[in-house]
Amino acid sequence: MDRGKVSAAEPYLPPSQPAPSSEFVLARLGAYWQALGVSDPDQIAALSEQALRRAAESPEAPGLDAVARTLVAAGELLDDWLARALDLPRSSRELAAARAALLSGAAPNWPAALFAAPGEADTVLDALRAARAEPTPEPSPGAMPAQRIELFGSLASLRRLWRPQPRA
Amino acid sequence: MTQTVQPPIMGHALRRVVFFLLVLLTTLGAMGLMVSVFQTDGLSPMELILLVLYAILFSWICISFWTAFMGFFVILTGRDRWAISRQSGLAPDPVAPASRTAILMPIYNEDSERVFAGLRAIHRSLADTGQLAGFDFFVLSDTRDPDVWVEEELRWQDMVRALDGKGRIFYRNRPENTSRKSGNLEDFCTRWGGRYRYMIVLDADSIMKGETLVEMVRIMERHPRVALLQTPPVPINRESLFARILQFAGSLYGRMFTAGLNYWQLGESNYWGHNAIIRIQPFLDHCGLPKLPGREPFGGDILSHDFVEAALLRRAGWEVWLAYDLEGSYEEIPPTLIDYAKRDRRWCQGNLQHLRLALSRGLNALSRLHFLMGVMSYAASPLWLLFLLATGIDAYFQTRHEPVYFFGENWAPVWPVSFAVEMTTVLLVTLTMLFLPKGLALLLLLKDGRLRRAYGGMIKATLSVALETLFSVLTAPVLMLFQTKFVLAILMRRAVGWPPQQRGDHMTGFREAALTHGVQTLIGIVAGVLSYQYVPAFFWWFIPVLLGLVLAIPVSMLSSSIALGRQARELGLFLTPEETEPPVVLDYLAENLEEDEPVLPVLRERPTSRFVQALTDPYVNALHLSLLPPREPPGKRRRHYLEGLIHQLEEEGPDSLSAVQKRDLISDPEMLARLHALFWSRPPANAGMLP
Repeated sequence: MDRGKVSAAEPYLPPSQPAPSSEFVLARLGAYWQALGVSDPDQIAALSEQALRRAAESPEAPGLDAVARTLVAAGELLDDWLARALDLPRSSRELAAARAALLSGAAPNWPAALFAAPGEADTVLDALRAARAEPTPEPSPGAMPAQRIELFGSLASLRRLWRPQPRA
Repeated sequence: MTQTVQPPIMGHALRRVVFFLLVLLTTLGAMGLMVSVFQTDGLSPMELILLVLYAILFSWICISFWTAFMGFFVILTGRDRWAISRQSGLAPDPVAPASRTAILMPIYNEDSERVFAGLRAIHRSLADTGQLAGFDFFVLSDTRDPDVWVEEELRWQDMVRALDGKGRIFYRNRPENTSRKSGNLEDFCTRWGGRYRYMIVLDADSIMKGETLVEMVRIMERHPRVALLQTPPVPINRESLFARILQFAGSLYGRMFTAGLNYWQLGESNYWGHNAIIRIQPFLDHCGLPKLPGREPFGGDILSHDFVEAALLRRAGWEVWLAYDLEGSYEEIPPTLIDYAKRDRRWCQGNLQHLRLALSRGLNALSRLHFLMGVMSYAASPLWLLFLLATGIDAYFQTRHEPVYFFGENWAPVWPVSFAVEMTTVLLVTLTMLFLPKGLALLLLLKDGRLRRAYGGMIKATLSVALETLFSVLTAPVLMLFQTKFVLAILMRRAVGWPPQQRGDHMTGFREAALTHGVQTLIGIVAGVLSYQYVPAFFWWFIPVLLGLVLAIPVSMLSSSIALGRQARELGLFLTPEETEPPVVLDYLAENLEEDEPVLPVLRERPTSRFVQALTDPYVNALHLSLLPPREPPGKRRRHYLEGLIHQLEEEGPDSLSAVQKRDLISDPEMLARLHALFWSRPPANAGMLP
């Protein structure tokens, strides 16, 4: 192998920008909100602003640049709302399932519910509760002890004849 | 939870005495003929070897023959008072809580679309019975391939949404696939076993009618001493010529053999690993499998766990039955000769391991016999090969032997005694034992007009049996060499090499066939030349074996053809009742596969990589995250490893990562969330789904 040669191929993901422009950050945030199902530009603008604020307040995360941090903050905004509205613990599988239900299309008008007053989003929340995945039932454990299998047990008597045990 | 010992039932004992007496007497008769041929001038060492080999192989054939004959007798008379489905058992207790049953589908890197289409067909068929409420479904995934893993999650969620199956249809992927399939089932039993009285274990390609599932539960409820009830799965749904021939044979002869097995095995039957219902409590109590001491192939994990589990249940006094007359239990088979041999390779090691278990303390005599029969289904091939070689060598020495016409004080010539009649009788008896069951199966069609029509009528069915017999004669020597190779490789702890594997229905190409069967063809040619040169009389007897080997490449290629399989079907050949009058559950399966209209929009897309989709698509990412089992945060070393993988992915793309590395990345919730943010902050140029 010629170690002097350096691969000239482009990296798969473009390199991170040390100081990305605010337009670029907003464009990425906008695209992300749209992918999540928010189409109203005003709602996108409001949510992006909240995400930017939240990202600015959050501590630096290793391996994430400024743009990635705002995207993480956008996801956290959503999780905050879901945790509050559905009364779920943060960083739980239930919360992840609720996010999946939200993004599955089970409640298409969820962005409106996000901005609605408490009590006005019940239909959306009911739809989310119904669509939340339940991969496994409550555990009901049972013990399954490993069985004893005495190999060549049938030959043991023959073996004893061959090599008689010394008498005590 | 050990069962009390039940006194032996006279009818059961009588059946076994009759069966084993017939096997013994037939074997002794054939051996007597052989000995009369060999012993005139004393037994040479080679003849002694031949005699021992013949005794083992002939008794093996005898067991098979008399099993088929008893099955023929049972079906012909229509009388079998000991069939478990016909025993009345206990009346159901009206106050006892209704039983709950879990339908388990353990999967490992399977075609997810087919797996879930099958499961949905079973679900629908069960819903048709109105008894759906008593059953829950579990997809127990041991899948390691990251793309298949993500696809499974989506297909499961789609099934839940489409069938309103929340809280009834479950999915889990094990972080480590310890102890393979038996470990997978053990994981279910120890985590959720307490919720259910029964579990019905399926295979990834199993299909079962709803009515059959309900009937299995009903039988278990009426027979509290039964811990396991096996149904005979009928092969279905394949289109290649090879598979259709096997399907025909499995369907026509299979019902006779299973009826025969039940004739003598009764409540000491066996477990075939799937399409069976199991009482969970005794399974928990008695079927925890230990690791065997020593290293592979005979030590380590128990590979063919099913036989062992049945033996352990029997050891604890529970009954294990084969419900041979329960219809509506199906499975799919390998589409080509090469795929069939590959499956044999997997099964061979597990079966050879049973040699050790057959001598374990405390097992029932029939459990030991089941183990030995499993061993013999593979060990028979090297034994047949040895027998053929020994016969050839003996024949060679016979040709070198100059007959002496005058010896001692005899003035008249003493002519050598000819044993052609005895030898021909031995040969004819052996061939009869091998091929008569096929004729008996045909005879049974005469009794049942509906069934006869379902097999295409008597003429077509007879022609199909004749062609199937010819095909099995041609492929038997090939399978003999395959299995001999597998047995030797396992005994020598060597891996067996294979040409690159192709999945799904495909026609075997010349390259694949030549790579796989080339040596077999060469062996056939060399053996032919040698026998023709040195033992010409033996050569003519040897022709069926030689022909199978010499034609291995074209036979393997042609039999893999789907077009020929369809053509044979149009001609009415190798028809099975499942082809002529498909049960509704198979129609459901076909519908599900043809009209694949998922509820989830993401499943309508066909991305090149579900792994990448799990990183980029917010829904797929969130669903995958929600299904990850709770785990400790990674240690420092592990974190460094995962960071390295992320850098590699950023630089070189997903194709640079191995399946294991991809799985490691998407198994960690933190890395999954981080990669999702990375992809959205710096979308790669070629990722079409990202704006």
